[in-house]
Order: sequence, then C-alpha cells, then structure tokens
Amino acid sequence: MREYLLKRIIISIFILWVVATLNFVIFQVVSPLSPEDTYAPLNLDIPPETLELIRELYGLNEPMHMRYIKYIKNMFTFDFGISFVSRKPVVVEMSQRLPATVLLLGSSMVATILIGTPIGILAASKRGSKKDIVTIGAGLFTWGVPVFFIQLLFMLFFSYYWMKIFGVPLFPVRGLYSIPPLANPLAFMADVAWHIGLPLITLVVGGFGAWALYTRNILLDALTQDYIITARAKGLSERTVLYRHAFRSTLPPIVTIIALSIPGIITGAMITEWIFTLPGIGRWYLDALTGSDYPVLQAVLFMFAILTILCNLIADLLYGILDPRIRVGVRR
Amino acid sequence: MASIFSKDKRIIYTRRIREFWFEFKSKKIGLAGLALIIIYVLVAVFAPFLTPYNPITQPRLAQATAMPEWITVFPGYQDYGKTQREILNWNVEKGSEFVEGWGSSAEIQYEAGKPQLVQVELSSQFSYMQMAPNEFFTLFRYEVANIKDIECSIALSLIPPEANSSYIFWRSETLTAEKSQDVTVDSKDPIFIKRLGFKLQENLGNIIFSQKGDYTFILLIQFRPLSNDAMAKVVIKNSQIVLLGRVHGILGTDYLAKDIWSHLVWGSRISLSIGLLAALVGTVIGIFVGVTSGYLGGLTDEVLMRTVDILLCLPLLPLLLALVHLYGRNVYYIVLFIGIFGWQGLARVIRSQTLSIRETPYIESARASGASGFYIMQKHIVPNIIPVAFASMILAVPSAILFEAALSFLGFGDPRVVTWGMMLQHAFGFGGFSQLAWWWIVPPGLAIIGLCMAFVFIGHAFDEIVNPRLRRRR
Repeated sequence: MREYLLKRIIISIFILWVVATLNFVIFQVVSPLSPEDTYAPLNLDIPPETLELIRELYGLNEPMHMRYIKYIKNMFTFDFGISFVSRKPVVVEMSQRLPATVLLLGSSMVATILIGTPIGILAASKRGSKKDIVTIGAGLFTWGVPVFFIQLLFMLFFSYYWMKIFGVPLFPVRGLYSIPPLANPLAFMADVAWHIGLPLITLVVGGFGAWALYTRNILLDALTQDYIITARAKGLSERTVLYRHAFRSTLPPIVTIIALSIPGIITGAMITEWIFTLPGIGRWYLDALTGSDYPVLQAVLFMFAILTILCNLIADLLYGILDPRIRVGVRR
Repeated sequence: MASIFSKDKRIIYTRRIREFWFEFKSKKIGLAGLALIIIYVLVAVFAPFLTPYNPITQPRLAQATAMPEWITVFPGYQDYGKTQREILNWNVEKGSEFVEGWGSSAEIQYEAGKPQLVQVELSSQFSYMQMAPNEFFTLFRYEVANIKDIECSIALSLIPPEANSSYIFWRSETLTAEKSQDVTVDSKDPIFIKRLGFKLQENLGNIIFSQKGDYTFILLIQFRPLSNDAMAKVVIKNSQIVLLGRVHGILGTDYLAKDIWSHLVWGSRISLSIGLLAALVGTVIGIFVGVTSGYLGGLTDEVLMRTVDILLCLPLLPLLLALVHLYGRNVYYIVLFIGIFGWQGLARVIRSQTLSIRETPYIESARASGASGFYIMQKHIVPNIIPVAFASMILAVPSAILFEAALSFLGFGDPRVVTWGMMLQHAFGFGGFSQLAWWWIVPPGLAIIGLCMAFVFIGHAFDEIVNPRLRRRR
C-alpha cells in the first residue's frame, strides 16, 4: 500500500511539473509579456529607463532557463507573485476568492447528490417503468443542455419577469451579498443564502439528471449480480435486497465519482460565477484573462491541476478503503 | 470512392451498413435524433434562402430589441407597427421659378438677378397610421455647387397633422462655398433632442409622431445674394424618413436592430461545422493514440497513457479560454483546440479494445505471416474499432458544440462569425434581460439544445447497438 501510494505521489509530482512547464510555455515563451507591447496602445511617453526598470522588476532580462528554474521553484512553493491588476499577492487574493466558490460548489454538489441519488435508486428499482424512462431522459437532457442557458432562463423569469409582475425580484441577479453588507451575522447569512439561491438551484437542475442516471446504471449493474439472486431466493424483502445488498455495493464507485467530478464542476462553475457576478475563483480567472493578468492565470491553472490530481488520488484511496475486495487484497 | 475497395469488400461493407440500419430503425429515439439533424442540416444549407437579411452587416432594421411581428396577434400589441420607410417626393410650394426639377430629388437654381432675399419652399407629405415609433431617423443629401457671391441656407422641418407649429429638424449654417453633405437626423441624437427643447430622457418618436395622419416635411432654401452676378445651385437628393418599427420579422431584432431570425439560421452553419469538425479531430487523434498505444505497448504505451493522464488533469475550459485569448479569437483555432483537448477518454477506450483484439488468433496469424505492425493496425485493428469510435464521435459532437457556445457566451468566440453563443452573450451583455427580450434570449438556447439533443439521441441509440456495456463518463 505504501509503495503504491509513493508511486502515485511521484507520478503526481511529475504531472504537476509538466502542467507547470506547459503554463510557462504558454504564457512566457509563446506569448511572452513585454512592457513595450503592453504600454504601446496607451501612447504614453515612457522613458526607456522605466521600461528597463519594469523588465528588471519582472525578471525579463534574465536568460530563459534561469527564468524557468525560478518559475518552477515559485510554483512549487506557492509563491505566485503579485497580480498585475490588483497589485496584491496572488495567494492573498486567492484566499479571498475561495470562500464564494467553495460555498457555491459545496452546496450545489451536496444538493445534487441528495436529490439525484434517490431518483436513481427509484429508477433502478422500477426498471422499464415510466419513472425509469423519465430518469433516463433527464440524464440525457443534461448531456445536451448548456447549464448557462438554464441559468439565463431562470434569471429571466425569477428575477426580471418576477420583478415586472410583483415589483421585487424573487432572487437577486448579482453579487454574493447585499451592498452594504448587513451587520447582523444571522441576517447576513440569510442574505448570502438568498443571493446564492438562484445559482444553486440552476446548478442542481442542470446536474441532478446526470447524477441520477449514473446511480441508476451502477445500481442496475449491481442488481444483476448473483448474490442479489441469492438474497432474493433467501426470501429477503425487496427493500432489504435493494438497500442492504445492492446499494451498499454501489458506494465505492459513487464515492469515487464524487471525487472525480469535483474538478469538472469547478470549471463549470466559472460560467455560473460569471453570470451571477459571484466573487469566486472562476470570475477572478475570467477577469484576469481580459486584463492579461499572467500571475493570476498561471496560479489558477496550476491550482486547478493540483486539485484534479488530489481528487484522483483521493478517489483511488477511497476506492481501496471502501471496497472490501481491494482492501483485503492489499492486506495480503 | 467505390474504387478504393475491391468488389467483395464493398459487398461486405454494404451488408454491414444495411444490418446496422436495420437495427437502428428499431430505435425510436435514434430516428427522432436523425430527423432533427436532417432539419438542422437543411436549415444550414438553405440559410441564404431562409433569411431576408444579413445578420452581420444590416443594422437598424427596426427599433433596437423590436418584438417579433406575430406578437401583434395578441391583445395589447395590436397597435405595434412595422418599420415604415418613406421616400420623400418634393413638391414646390413657393418660388417655383427657381426650381428646375422636383420629385425624389430636387434641383434649385439661383441665377444672377435682383439682389433680394429669395425663399424656395418644398414640401413632401406622407401618412403615418401606426402607434408612435420609439425611434426614427431622416436622411437626405444636399449638394451646393456653382456658388458665387451668395449666402444660402437650408432648413428642414416637420409639421404634424392639424398643427400650426413645426419641429425644426435640421438647419444648415450659412453656406458661401461649394459643399455637399449627407445629413442624418436621428431621434436618439442628444443635440437634436436638446435643440427641440426636450429633456434627454424624453422620447422624440413618441412625442412627434403621437398622432395618426398626414405629416408634412418642409424644406426651406434661402438665398441672400450679395452682388448682382450672384448665383448658386442646390441639389437635394435621397430624402427619406425611416420610422423604426416596434415589431420586426419572425423573431424581432437585437440591440443593434439586426434581424434575429437571420442570425439564428446562419448560426446553425457554424454550430454544425464546429461540432462535427472538432469531434472529427478529437476522434482521429483518439483512434491514432489508442491503437498505437494498445498495439505497440511497452514504452510507447507508457508515454502515451501518461500524456492522457496529464491532459485529464488540465482544466479544459480555463485552458481553452487562455489559449483562445492568447492566440486570437479565430474559429479555426477554436475547432482545433477543442479537438486537441478532447480525445483522452476515447483513447483509453480504444486502447483497451485494441488490447483485446491484439490477442485474437487472426492477428497472431497475420503477424506470423510477416505482416508489419502498421499493416496490422491499419487493416485489422482500425476497421474493428470504427463502430465504437463512430459512436463516441457522435457523442463528442454535442460537447464540442456546448464548449463553443460557452466560449462565445463568455466573449471569447470569433467575432466575425455568427454563433448562437454570441447571441446569448449579446443578450446578456447588452440589455436583453432588463428589456425582457425573450425573443432574443430563448431561441438561440433552444437551437443549441435541439442540435445537441439530436446528437445525444443518435449517440445513445448507436451506443446501444455497437457497445451496450460502454458508458462514457466525461
């Protein structure tokens, strides 16, 4: 087990190094930053000494390999430098942006799983029924429907049309809390919940179908196993068979897929944050793109890669822990 | 095409395709998807015949965010009018001795004579019988030539029905030299609004055209000769007034008053081609990597599969956004990037298939009879994995379409082509929501959903036929 873990960690570090190098190539070799180009459209009279100073400051005068070594060292020590736009250290700003993203994604994931799993179980237990077909339909639906369109529609109806008909919108259209923020902590929390309501609901609407379909398919696989036939033959109730026997065996793949889907959900949340103007990582990244804020872009891409690798690792480990067959195999 | 294959090969392929079609026919969902795609393809092919306007180059077809024309069927909207274009035909009211010709263009000639003030008055009438427009504009061109020792001025004003006063639309400065100019008087022009003495937030269209009836334009041309041999020639051309409609076409207009229906129809071309091309690029790479890695094994396999691992760790959307931002918002780049970063899942599937095919006896016998690795891959392995690859490609199309839509929606699409994502971006960014312009927001989204669902349906049916156990995760 330890050997396996060690191997995985070494491979992970290797992958991280490749991703970091790729970042370097994209942002500093192929389309490198040059103060001359940056200031040229502004038509400012910047003296050459100042430009030289800027080059010095960002280490642009050093040879490429020195820059690369420094860059890799910085990346792996989480020293992402200072944002061009906000002039704050990237790490500090990232920690300010993280809560919104974590709040949105955490709550939407929990809600999606809590709604999707029972639907999937129901569909699997009544295979071929109308409920099952509806579940399959909902699952296929999520394949072909852009979540951002669902969000736009919900926004149109629950904010703008609601506003027109009732005078107040059911949900606000932008921000994480009212401005100025409410002083009372309880009221503030309620305010945040109100603001996050629409993004949350739309993410769940766009995601629960896929989740239900996934649960259904795993459970159906489990239900065709021999031990289920044995359990039924013993005369156990259908309920016991479903929950105590079949569903339990689906836990490892379900937990795995939760871990594996986190990175994808985070990138998907980028558009959500954009639409609802939530001050999260995704919105930050998009703003950094328009401002060519390279330190931020590099940092976010690197952190996304770390997150993906971590999630993969956790998925593997959890699978080993949850699945008795693998667990026993490891002990031997 | 047929000559590529020998005769018996052709027979085998036709039989396979026929068998496949026989099975596919029984899948209702697949047939529905196929029908839907045929509709989209027809729309894309016949786009020029379906659209009366160019979605990029023809703005101001009606007022900004005009509603669809058929809305007038519903109560409350019956009075909403279409765009009315009136070519102004000039008649002479005063000073006919100076007017050489009139009609759609008028020519006024002043020749040496008594040095006294001369006024020429032209008028043009049109009737307006609709609800007051929100926007209007007037165009005309004047040319002053052969001018000598004279001060001349031109003024345009409008008299509403049964009114004594008039609105002065435009007045030239005193002209003493040759000049020609295209004049546009726009109801949204703040200087114009101020000059008429209204507040900026007031709507000139609603005020001036509030009555139904005959409106009269008066064009007044004044000559003030300064000497005895003064002369001048003034030509008025291309005079027209456009009262922009509150309703327009099949799906109304967007913020620049471009035709939404045309935009929607032309968008099908881009979405279809981007989706198919990107999926094709991804599938080709996926087949190549999967077969090579599976057949050769060893170090090649290790390197290729680690590459897949690395690509799977890259956050796709942020990376695509960064690449498109850095290398230019070009539709070909977008296709290429989506294709290049979208083959990892397929490569893994193909690799495992290749692994199992490699161990079959007929591959072994082919190898024993001295066939090269390339020959075996190309002749024996690739034909066997084509069905799986094809099913996977069909399922890759909707995700490519959705990716492109997301890119465009975030403002990273190619600005030169018309896409559905771009329509949503405009609606989101330029006030489609605050104006409740559902005809601008809903159709592009439904178009995306319809096209993606069609491919998902077909892919689902395909999957069931080709590979019942195969489940895609990403």
